[in-house]
Amino acid sequence: MAGEVILGFDGQDGSQAALRTAVLVAAAFKRPLIITFGYAPTAMGGEVSDLSDTVQTLGKQITSDAVKAVRALDPTVEVKAELVNDRPAEAILRAASQYDALTIVVGAAGRGPIAGALLGSVTYQVVHRSTRPVLVVPTPPEA
Amino acid sequence: MATDLAPPTGGVAQSKGLKSGALGLAAATVVGVASTAPGYSLAATLGLITAFVGVRSPAIMWIAFIPMACIAAAFFYLNRADPDCGTNFTWVTRAIGPRSGWMGGWSSMVADLVIMPSLAQIAAIYTFDLFGFHSQAQSIWWTLALGIVFIMAMTWICVVGIELSAAMQMIFLGTELAILVIFSVWALVRVYAGHISGSVHPVLSWLKPSGFGGIGGFTQGILLAVFIYWGWDTAVSVNEECEDANRTPGLAAVLSTFILVAIYVVVAFSAQAVKGADFLSNNSDDVLSATGKIVFGSGAVGTVMLKVLLIAILSSAAASCQTTILPAARTALSMAIHRAFPPKLGEIDPRHLTPAFSSWLFGIISSVWYLGLVLVTRISGGDVLTWSVLSVGLMISYYYGQTGIACVIYYRRYLFKSLKNFVFVGLLPLIGGVSLGALFLQSIWDMTSPDYTGDGHSWLGVSPVLWLGLGVFLGGIPLMFWWNSKDHTFFDRGRDPIDERPPPEGGEPLAPLVGSTRVVD
Repeated sequence: MAGEVILGFDGQDGSQAALRTAVLVAAAFKRPLIITFGYAPTAMGGEVSDLSDTVQTLGKQITSDAVKAVRALDPTVEVKAELVNDRPAEAILRAASQYDALTIVVGAAGRGPIAGALLGSVTYQVVHRSTRPVLVVPTPPEA
Repeated sequence: MATDLAPPTGGVAQSKGLKSGALGLAAATVVGVASTAPGYSLAATLGLITAFVGVRSPAIMWIAFIPMACIAAAFFYLNRADPDCGTNFTWVTRAIGPRSGWMGGWSSMVADLVIMPSLAQIAAIYTFDLFGFHSQAQSIWWTLALGIVFIMAMTWICVVGIELSAAMQMIFLGTELAILVIFSVWALVRVYAGHISGSVHPVLSWLKPSGFGGIGGFTQGILLAVFIYWGWDTAVSVNEECEDANRTPGLAAVLSTFILVAIYVVVAFSAQAVKGADFLSNNSDDVLSATGKIVFGSGAVGTVMLKVLLIAILSSAAASCQTTILPAARTALSMAIHRAFPPKLGEIDPRHLTPAFSSWLFGIISSVWYLGLVLVTRISGGDVLTWSVLSVGLMISYYYGQTGIACVIYYRRYLFKSLKNFVFVGLLPLIGGVSLGALFLQSIWDMTSPDYTGDGHSWLGVSPVLWLGLGVFLGGIPLMFWWNSKDHTFFDRGRDPIDERPPPEGGEPLAPLVGSTRVVD
């Protein structure tokens, strides 16, 4: 099946807003929602395998909470989690191309455009490297 | 209910272990060179090396590389058995046993700890120099204050997980290498044009492997130079992630090797041509800054070039910090997961997905260590930076040497299966292991002399470097026994049974060290 909605999700505040929007998009277009989580740490800095295993375990928790949240928001949306052994941006892009996704939804919380470009923001990378539409969801101001 | 998590055979998760965003040749080379931080390494050691071996510093640069290259073969093949990207803790545990593995992990962590004062001090001195605060750059208290700020800031960056994008890393490293080359060429041109009074024309005999002032001077020089190649093995270890796993990593390792050896030899050559080797020794705390001022002069272009040089050293120190705090925290996490350390050290921060607790602990301990070292040298006299760098060489030679020996032991069943195995899995790691082991023992012996550093400082009749280096190293032993008495799970595991060890070409993934939290899909 092609045309899924891909959500880049890390459990932080910024991606919670993206989750809500992704549910709306998936419901409106009647597409399954794929929650992606990349867990590989940077290759620089020595040991990686134990850290990435630990982050993977945490990622399973985070994404299964997210799946529950999606079902609570809209039980009609078909939802699935994908844990990818890759840097977060790569994970999202790879999932998108493997599913031939309709669109990618990511949160925009975090750094400004220049800091993002210099420091390697996930959203920045996804927006600039994706070959398909990307929906960037800003974090709503504190109510 | 449908499965929430992807089954191991389905979709994206299937390709675990082989990454799409693979490292290209350039990126793999950048990782290798940047992990070594050539600018900072030179700034920290060049003046000390000339203090011990005089004009033969370029020779020391290339000689020290030989054992390191041998050890890289051990890293490469052990990484195939258990891809860990550069920690010797698991490898040595598998090959020799849990206690040796524990000490290996410990010594790599305390090596990171011991070098932090030097790193912070260099960063502080070059920051003050960059902004023109030259008297602060000379003050041990000002550099201590800024240095601790630097350590804390870098720890925070590691905890939050900010990492420079690949493009920025390329730009920083490119600038670093370019300015070091420009510095060298500029220096040589001015020396040959006779613009610098007191300059020395370089001679090829500087490369000759002799005349180091005896075995003592030679081992001191090598001990320092081992430090400048520390981290280079990363380029060899990231093999799994490369585009063409058969060619790219090997090529990247060879390329980063040539870049590093060339840059070290060339900079050593030209820097000591400027005012002679003694000038470098007398300015060992800020050797590139002092030499840079003379080389680039006070003209408009020269001032700009000097600033670029200082920025390059600073960015190199920052990169080096990343490759010091991260591995220390990750080794602690790894040891905690395998129950060789208290579980608290194995926690990761749910928000940033980094080993936050062990990172902060490391940052705080290294600040306290730096402060303590400064206080002690205020009382006894002496030089923090020299002692740190010399004692870190001791620990690096220990755990690199141990890794070389572990490789030979681990694969001993396969050594005589082919000539390639014999040379690359047996002979080279053995040469590296034995020579670094000899360096370790010879250095300890030399350090028992009160006159080791030649600065007239000794504590209780032996060199302070011995107290620092051997003290923190041996301090691990009571800690190990303390933890063994609390939780002996890790220590009860033996080495890997000989018939369960995969061949060096690679085989089935190994079972985890201890019943760990490792998720097997």
